[in-house]
Amino acid sequence: MKYLVALAGAFLAAVLTASLSPYVRVLGVAPDFVLIFAACWAMVRGQGEAMFVVPLAGLLRDLTTSDPLGLSVLALSPIVFLALLRELRPVESDFLPALAVVATASLAYSIISMTVLTAVGDDVSWGTALLRVAVPSIIINPLFAVIVYPPMRWLSPRPRPVSFGVGSAVQL
Amino acid sequence: MRTLWWTLAIAGMSLISIVLSENRTFDPLQNLSLTVAAPIESGIRDLADPASDFFQGVFDRGDIVRENERLRRELERLQTEVAAGEDARRRVRELEEALGFKDSRPDDQLVVADVIAQDPSGLKRALAINRGSKDGLDEGMVVLSRDGSLVGTVSLVHDDFAWLRLISDPNSAVNIAVQPQGEESPAARGIAVGDLRSGVNLEMLPTEAEIKQGDLVTTSGLGGNYPRALLLGTVKTVEEKPQAPSKRAVLEPSAELSALETVFIVTSFKPARLSAP
Repeated sequence: MKYLVALAGAFLAAVLTASLSPYVRVLGVAPDFVLIFAACWAMVRGQGEAMFVVPLAGLLRDLTTSDPLGLSVLALSPIVFLALLRELRPVESDFLPALAVVATASLAYSIISMTVLTAVGDDVSWGTALLRVAVPSIIINPLFAVIVYPPMRWLSPRPRPVSFGVGSAVQL
Repeated sequence: MRTLWWTLAIAGMSLISIVLSENRTFDPLQNLSLTVAAPIESGIRDLADPASDFFQGVFDRGDIVRENERLRRELERLQTEVAAGEDARRRVRELEEALGFKDSRPDDQLVVADVIAQDPSGLKRALAINRGSKDGLDEGMVVLSRDGSLVGTVSLVHDDFAWLRLISDPNSAVNIAVQPQGEESPAARGIAVGDLRSGVNLEMLPTEAEIKQGDLVTTSGLGGNYPRALLLGTVKTVEEKPQAPSKRAVLEPSAELSALETVFIVTSFKPARLSAP
């Protein structure tokens, strides 16, 4: 069931990204709802689920854009590593690490995309693209993640305590 | 260890998939996905259109934006007429000079298409339209705005859909001629190159050319990939560098490239890359 929800959410995010981008450009960059969705899901639900949801989201994104199929899957994959922040808990808040993951994933996405597009023969002006696309996306995507993350966190089932011998832990 | 295996598997599958995608293996799958997504995307775009006015500014700015859009279209239409007139005048002179020159350009046959999506990456300037190879589209075909100015070419064709590369895309290059208005000096030829920062740059213009802000920019027809005398826009700014081997300028496109809703694909004109044996 949770993966059906993820599929529906990723599809909606892909459609929103392809259709809304001309209307919600900030600093010349459109928010990437697929990246935001995948990163927020990874931070809310953990690395295990991210291993399935991130490629799924990337696949749906590639199917609705002119990019070669597989580019987004590859470019979104760093989210799975970044989701380790959830387990490390560098700060008490869940929210700030989520924003940091979205920002870092945005930069990683741009760089991997530019590398792949260059490799397949597209003319990518790296200087301009970094300045005009990669850097603004580090700001814009976390701004929109502020809208996406709280409801996702709220709708996600609360962790329930389980016992392991003498200690305790939480399980999703 | 699990994450490492996952990474290797994803990287491997992605790279294989990218290679296969470049060989057009996944075209039917992408056509199917656009078939499913297109009605939803069109609905969202219709809903977002009025909302974008709010997003762009405050309260009654929507009326100003609409009025501005109407005036811009009117200007574009008039500029298209002027460009056609300028070119016609120039061509008559050329015909007088070069007897026997025959106009080989046939009457244009157009396919109307609605824009259904825009490439969101920011690294490209590409649009998806609801017409494909079944409607006679082929890669390289020229795309016009509804007021007749050049907006790009067809870059990727599926059965029912196609992706357009706008003239502002970094991979776009169009041979152009800057038409000095009301002067007898010859048109300055150059190349219009897409740029993520400024939109469209006019490059390789002769240093001796008299180019001013507001001069009309049309296709030159050189290379055979675009019909002659299609309007692109006007000169926005001119970059003067005495030591430079050529002059540069920035184009103000006639069409609002980021807000295209309907476009025309010229199916009667076969670009050189398509008509070559």
